[in-house]
Amino acid sequence: MQPQESVEQFGYRQELRRGVGLTDLVFYGLIFMVPIAPFAIFGLVYSRSGGMPVLTYLIGMIALLFTAASYAQMVKAFPLSGSVYNYAGRGIAPPVGFLTGWAILLDYLLAPCLLYLVASIAINTTVPQVPVWAWLIIFVAVNTVINLRGIRMTVKLTKVLIIAELAVLALFLVVGVWALLQGRGREFSLAPLFNPDTFSWPLVFGAVSVAVLSFLGFDGISMLVEESTGGSAQVGRAMRLALILAGVLFVAQVWVAALLVPDPGGLLVRDTGTAFYDAATVAGGEWLAHVTSAATAISWGLANTLVAQVAVSRLLYAMARDRQLPSFLAKVSVKNSVPANATLLVATLSIVLGLWMSTREDGVDLLSSLINMGALVAFIVLHVSVIVHYVVRGRSPNLWSHLVMPLIGMAILVFVVINANILAQQVGLVWLGVGALVLLGLYVAGRRPTLRSFAVPEKSA
Amino acid sequence: MNRPPLHHELYLIAHDNSGKPLVHQSSMALGLAGAVLLELALGDRLAATEGGVSVRDSTSVGDAVADSLIPLILRDRTARDIAFWTKKVAEDVYDRTRESLVSAGVLNRVTRRRLGVLSQTRHELADIASVVRACSGVRAAVEGREEPDARCAALCGLVGVLQVDAALYLGQPSNQLIGRLRGIAEESSRVVQDVVGTVDTLISEAAVAVYR
Repeated sequence: MQPQESVEQFGYRQELRRGVGLTDLVFYGLIFMVPIAPFAIFGLVYSRSGGMPVLTYLIGMIALLFTAASYAQMVKAFPLSGSVYNYAGRGIAPPVGFLTGWAILLDYLLAPCLLYLVASIAINTTVPQVPVWAWLIIFVAVNTVINLRGIRMTVKLTKVLIIAELAVLALFLVVGVWALLQGRGREFSLAPLFNPDTFSWPLVFGAVSVAVLSFLGFDGISMLVEESTGGSAQVGRAMRLALILAGVLFVAQVWVAALLVPDPGGLLVRDTGTAFYDAATVAGGEWLAHVTSAATAISWGLANTLVAQVAVSRLLYAMARDRQLPSFLAKVSVKNSVPANATLLVATLSIVLGLWMSTREDGVDLLSSLINMGALVAFIVLHVSVIVHYVVRGRSPNLWSHLVMPLIGMAILVFVVINANILAQQVGLVWLGVGALVLLGLYVAGRRPTLRSFAVPEKSA
Repeated sequence: MNRPPLHHELYLIAHDNSGKPLVHQSSMALGLAGAVLLELALGDRLAATEGGVSVRDSTSVGDAVADSLIPLILRDRTARDIAFWTKKVAEDVYDRTRESLVSAGVLNRVTRRRLGVLSQTRHELADIASVVRACSGVRAAVEGREEPDARCAALCGLVGVLQVDAALYLGQPSNQLIGRLRGIAEESSRVVQDVVGTVDTLISEAAVAVYR
């Protein structure tokens, strides 16, 4: 049997212009993941992993490669622009789709807030005269104006930004390796990969729960399935490629940075929030610290927030159109062709939460743990969707792809969730509990979840 | 008297006198595309059913944009639906509508320099009467002075979806007016309901598109 390849099999027609190739898809995934993402959370990952950030990122990459495989299976089954919300809803049942959408909403709603906070902390290291909270307001204001004006990332701009980020990364790696060869930092060792003195599985998986943040966004590639020149097969390939590419880049940069950390013992005890920039200072001096922090601010605070805003708007729109969230979130500004209500909601949330988190010492840690918690729960359900859709319902004989791989992926993610930040686990559970109550309310109100997202209406409303 | 094509009327309503569009170009293009499809459907040239859009009569309706769509639909063997053709037509309908209005002498192409340096081309109204005529049917329908025909209901629906109600100068609250305009379209024929509903959905989807 040929794989289901066409949206037309679901009563929909091919709406979006197919024009995005494999390279564009990979670049889009990379801009969402940010190739220099570890710059911002390196210290946190280093301290949480007992000085083994390389192992942490490797495990994170492997875990998410299994998730990408499950995404590829669901994209193949349902080649619709959507998210895990769509796949779980169609693969298992609409109420499960609602709860999965609710779980990943935690990720999508909080991600812009974290991006603004990290960008503000990064730029504050370069311009300390302006406090973090003021930078945060500036970033939110600039991005909100850009989004409300309808300025959108283009394929060309995506490529330019990725090249700029890769150039900064290459600069750090060249200067860093040169510095190591000159005897600065510590000599080459495998300790960042495996340190028998500090190693324990719970420790490493706890760190993976933070490091996985750097990979989030690869799933954003699935939003482009209807525009992909190669259909769902190309989307699956792009996800794998983007993850591997990002994983290699992450491993390279944290390995070099780990060998350049000026005070490894101190960093193991407490993350200062500027660990990567301190390592850059050891490698090349103050100028390299400024270059890396400015690159972090621009890539997190501007480029990534633009794509994050699109992702959250699409999810809010899809759920609101399906009458699973208040209908005002599905309303758009026709004048500027933007989801104005969703944009303003995200901006308000980012300001309120961001200002609060900027006063907490563990603000970045807590926010990233919460975001990861939402994403990890949603990814676990995605694996279940593959098993239910293919094995339980479809009686698929391909047990390796449709049962074994999802089970392995799910097992790794469950272990990561179990070892995550306790507060994040509690908040994640509360969030899911609220979602269950909302779902109950929908049933009581006679609005049981149905999926219509991104479909043309059968008749005018 | 022959009425101008629906997309011409919608274009005129959706721009101010200096030629500045009142809504984003992607929304505008989808609205104009819907107007082209409705022109053909209401002229009995097209049939839009759940099985897709098909040609009923391939004779010309006297509008270059609408007439050029018929051969395309005839060549299509997969019976694409309203949404597909709306997006297809939207690709170039804005420029083509504007050019045909310039050719008809309804718009004048005016080039000026901003700040004495930057060249800017605007398409200004040659005569404000053309907009007044385009609006008159919609105004009469909203005020209840005339029973709208399907064509007028279609224009009302598209004006409502594009939210360019301010151009009607009716002095009513916008929400109320848009609700009335949409209501007129919903009370009209099935094809008007379907096309206006599709344009509405596509405008929302364009607003949350990843790239544009």
